[in-house]
Amino acid sequence: MKKKILSVMLASVLAMSMIGCGSSAVSGVTETETTESADSTQSADTAESADATAAEATGEGSGEDLNVMLETPVESLDPQQATDGTSFEVIADYTDGLMQMDADGQAVNAIAESVDVSDDGLTYTFHLRADANWSNGEPVTANDFVFAWQRAVDPEIASEYSYMLSDIGQIVNAQEIIDGAKDKTELGVTAVDDKTLEVKLNVPVSYFLSLMYFPTFYPVNQAFYESVGDTFATSPETTLSNGAFVLDDYQPAATAIHLTKNADYYNADSVKLAGLNYQVIQDSQQALMSYQNGDLDTTLVNGEQVDQVKDDPAFQAIGAGYMWYISPNIQDVKELANLNIRYAITMALNREAITTDVLKDGSAPTFTAVPMDFAAGPDGSDFSADQTKFSDVCKYDAAAAADYWAKGLEELGITELTLTMIHDADDAPIKVAQVVKEQLETTLPGLTVELQQMPKKERVQRMQEGEFELGLTRWGPDYADPMTYLGMWVTNNSNNYGFWSNADYDKIIDECTTGETAMDATARWAALYDAEKIVMDEAVIFPLYTQCNAELISTDVSGIEFHPVALNRVYKNAVKN
Amino acid sequence: MAETVMLEKEPYVPTDADFKLKGNDKDILVDSNFASQSFWKEVIARFRKKKSAVFGLIFVLVITFFAFVGPSMNSYTYSGQDLSQKNLAPRIPLIEYTGFFDGHENIATTKGTKTVNLYFENKLPDTFYWFGSDNFGRDIWTRTWSGAQVSLIIAVAAAIIDMIIGMSYGLISGYFGGKVDMVMQRILEIANGIPRLVIVTLLLLVFKPGMLTIIVALMLTEWVGMSRIARAEMLKLKEQEFVLASRTLGAGSMHIIFSEVLPNIIGPIITQVMFSIPTAIFTEAFLSFVGLGIPVPRCSLGSLISEGFNSFTTHPYQIIPPIVVMALLMLSFNLVADGLREALDPKLKEM
Amino acid sequence: MGGGRYLSSRSFSIGVVMKKYVIKRVVTALFTLLAITLILFILMQLMPGSPFNDEKLNDTQRAALYAKYGLDKPIIVQFFQYVFNMFRGDLGVSYKISKNTPITQLIASRLPISIGVGFAAVMIGAVVGLLLGLLAAFKKDTVWDTLATIISVIGVSVPSYVFALALSYQFGFKLKWFPMLFSAKDVIGSSVLPSISLSMFTMASIARFTRAEMIEVLGSDYMLLAESKGLSGNKLIFSHALRNALIPIITVLAPLVVDLMTGSLVVEKIFSIPGVGSLLVNAIQSNDYNVVIALSFIYSAMYIVIMLAVDILYGVIDPRIRVAKEGD
Repeated sequence: MKKKILSVMLASVLAMSMIGCGSSAVSGVTETETTESADSTQSADTAESADATAAEATGEGSGEDLNVMLETPVESLDPQQATDGTSFEVIADYTDGLMQMDADGQAVNAIAESVDVSDDGLTYTFHLRADANWSNGEPVTANDFVFAWQRAVDPEIASEYSYMLSDIGQIVNAQEIIDGAKDKTELGVTAVDDKTLEVKLNVPVSYFLSLMYFPTFYPVNQAFYESVGDTFATSPETTLSNGAFVLDDYQPAATAIHLTKNADYYNADSVKLAGLNYQVIQDSQQALMSYQNGDLDTTLVNGEQVDQVKDDPAFQAIGAGYMWYISPNIQDVKELANLNIRYAITMALNREAITTDVLKDGSAPTFTAVPMDFAAGPDGSDFSADQTKFSDVCKYDAAAAADYWAKGLEELGITELTLTMIHDADDAPIKVAQVVKEQLETTLPGLTVELQQMPKKERVQRMQEGEFELGLTRWGPDYADPMTYLGMWVTNNSNNYGFWSNADYDKIIDECTTGETAMDATARWAALYDAEKIVMDEAVIFPLYTQCNAELISTDVSGIEFHPVALNRVYKNAVKN
Repeated sequence: MAETVMLEKEPYVPTDADFKLKGNDKDILVDSNFASQSFWKEVIARFRKKKSAVFGLIFVLVITFFAFVGPSMNSYTYSGQDLSQKNLAPRIPLIEYTGFFDGHENIATTKGTKTVNLYFENKLPDTFYWFGSDNFGRDIWTRTWSGAQVSLIIAVAAAIIDMIIGMSYGLISGYFGGKVDMVMQRILEIANGIPRLVIVTLLLLVFKPGMLTIIVALMLTEWVGMSRIARAEMLKLKEQEFVLASRTLGAGSMHIIFSEVLPNIIGPIITQVMFSIPTAIFTEAFLSFVGLGIPVPRCSLGSLISEGFNSFTTHPYQIIPPIVVMALLMLSFNLVADGLREALDPKLKEM
Repeated sequence: MGGGRYLSSRSFSIGVVMKKYVIKRVVTALFTLLAITLILFILMQLMPGSPFNDEKLNDTQRAALYAKYGLDKPIIVQFFQYVFNMFRGDLGVSYKISKNTPITQLIASRLPISIGVGFAAVMIGAVVGLLLGLLAAFKKDTVWDTLATIISVIGVSVPSYVFALALSYQFGFKLKWFPMLFSAKDVIGSSVLPSISLSMFTMASIARFTRAEMIEVLGSDYMLLAESKGLSGNKLIFSHALRNALIPIITVLAPLVVDLMTGSLVVEKIFSIPGVGSLLVNAIQSNDYNVVIALSFIYSAMYIVIMLAVDILYGVIDPRIRVAKEGD
């Protein structure tokens, strides 16, 4: 049983970083790590030797700072409070969790030297490495994890990602503590001794180890935390590092952040960069000019600028994990409750045109409820590799769309329909919404789509409260399992925007989370397919595309690891010539 | 001491150089008061003398003309997309043979500049986008003019509404004075003390975004200035004899404010309106930049500029038409406003 | 009219009248600020959405967050709590932009940068605007006049973000004279382009007002008198004309100073300046109530203080204004 759960875990994280963003995905990034065997997750020695090979393969770096562009400032460096990608990236630069991500997005041992999983899959015992120290000289102990995880579920801290421990991690008593029913000391995590951490789960969680690289699970040194009080993680002086870099220039909401290589890092030899120099640039053209001037080694490129850079070898499309889709309000809008109308809309959408003509950043058209390239099954294949599997209900077919439309209108006894679509007032959604409007209106006679843009917060609130007709929204995976998407369409889930409800579906999801099926990886996988099929057959959502970011990565730089989940960029193995 | 010295000197004989006739230019010899003219005739005459103002007026009229006629001068619509014809450079029939507006563009890539003509590459020999097409394949000519139309409507409407509200507020506050004035001015101070952006953003978030909401938002940013001017003018005029006379004859306050005083301060008010039109156009452009502008796919000059902004270094031709139209509009309105101020203000005329 | 009488007893009247006047104004200003804070609180309640509206949050978590920050209490309780804390120098913490960071800390690092860039912009705008306005006024109705008008208006004819990017492209990217982005290591050099972009609006306003005021002053009787007394050239312009034209110009300049010093979203966004302007916009869009209130409060306070200073300054410069105000 132990073997089986591990294999599920391994397989599920295997292909995560290989997001399908055109042919140029992450070139020059993965080759140094491909020699590493999958077993290395279990052995620090193997991981280290792999790192050593990587170091040999790339030669000694010149020890320069890597200059990186950030789109948004850091929101919080407190690992239990942070929720955004930028913060996660920076926190992970200077903090190691029990596990870290390798180039392929697999969980590899970091602070944990080895891990034992009980036969029933309910108890995880992590053995911490002896040479892991905080930058103030204190050793990293199991207590640091206990303290941090208790913070994550503490109602007083009110961490926004507490559900990572409860709903997703299924740690014993996590939910009760969040609800205030139990004290935080009753959390199912204990420090057996300084270097042994024991975690108890309610149900087996196949992807539990891959959660360990998620910053919410990162350790916090209690003594240090208490010595700095409320100012924790608001300046270099109030942060502690146990990772590859040390924070040495930071202010809250700063536009420039600097980190220097951590000489005391247990794996310091494999870190080639002298430091990391982050610069927040909100205007994409300034970013491109800075890159051209040599002030940046890597930068994000706006879809409009792709014409300027598409012939550049430094130009790459990097998977961002987010799937964008349109959610119809099935419960409250009677026209959208009609299945033929929903089929008509989803088939009238020309997703290819949206990605290639409008976004141009390498984003991939998506025809499944779970996007491709982030979750791989027991046999190692991507859950959504086959994008044609629902082609009878989700594809671009103007003629079929018009037929469904006519049928739907007839059933409703109307000839004209006006629908309002709400979307975020950001660059990409504004563009996509305009194309969607045009596509729907030209393909479906009698349909008028009105667009309403608003800040994202407001859009989310309106969708959660059901005050919308069509909503353009997105969802990013929290962990490498299809459940991060399929869990959304359960009855009464706050992200089930359409208020759709299907008893069969709820049953499958329940089985796969806590029931018997959860124990059997292959059966679970098949059941998840069934669940996805129900969503697609009922056209609960109209998937559009999986987001990619167009980036320029200087050809002098190699080894930056990109991931669609949790840590978007990892620089530990990056080399700059 | 100085005086005694003076006395001992020879009597001073004035020379021509000692006297300079002030304002000795040619129109001093022309008597312009030979016939009684109406106030407005005089204003027009003075306005026409100022060339820059006349030019401004002509430009405003030309742009307004195109704003309402331009969108229908070709077969495209402002929202019609054709993704197969996106990002085409300007191409105009006949002129294309000169080498300008022939559909070619130079793209400054990170690997050097390259020249392309997408009309040939995409095999579109009979397609013409006079100002080019945008990244959805929409005609920029049509969009620029329909954007100018939206901007003009928004700006003029906002200016007129803020004139009515700001003027009434200022006149009432100034006329009644005392406690009323005190309270009204404190309210004004509070309204002014809150950053505009906070109020405007909130307004646009709370109400459905659209032309009307934007007009109200713009009005909110402008009415304070208008009310100040109206109040100052009222304070100047309210003690004058004609007001006193009117009051003695039993006229009500509202009658005095709006029928007696108002016609006498119409000059500064109109000038302020003319200045607030370009300000409104400009503020609307800022709102577009923050993502609070006119909802897509409708467009204003501001939203066109902020859309084209992302292509500024890639396809500059997409941002040039709205920018040029906006710049001309701003400049013209300012010139007209300057001209009007001088034409309407007899004190300045004396110069 | 009655200037002579007041001038003769000036030293006496300033002491008594001014003191009373200033005290009255300061007290009113304090109440105005309090009213503004209350209005801001009410406005925050009207804002759609909440700071914790991430789609990944469920209702229980949101309730927990509201409880943590005391947002579940009645608005009036929140208001008095806030005012009470404010007097102790505590402006609360940020909910979203920089989670749990005290706002005093957030602002302390950013406000000086905004003030610095804003002050430079005011200086550039005022000096250039004044010169352009003077040129236009002295060469009225000539080509110079039109030219000066066009130059002063051109800066506000093009939206500031386009202008800022064009400056950055030309002088930062092509010519490499100045850094394109703000950098803490080269504050002066990297503030040049942002300050110029920011100064455009001030420049245009000042130029226009200077022109109008100068034309009026130059046409007034006392200038004619001064000129016929034999005064000429610089002395005439500077000690008579400009000095009198300056009062209305200061009136126009004062609110602009507040606007500039409290940061500009556009310029901060384009040049990556860690100022308070972009902070405010981000805070509004992410419902970070405390940040919005604190920044708006600072804006209001600066605005009211500067307006107060201008009014009092008037009283000193021109007794007639003071008397008129007293009479109201």
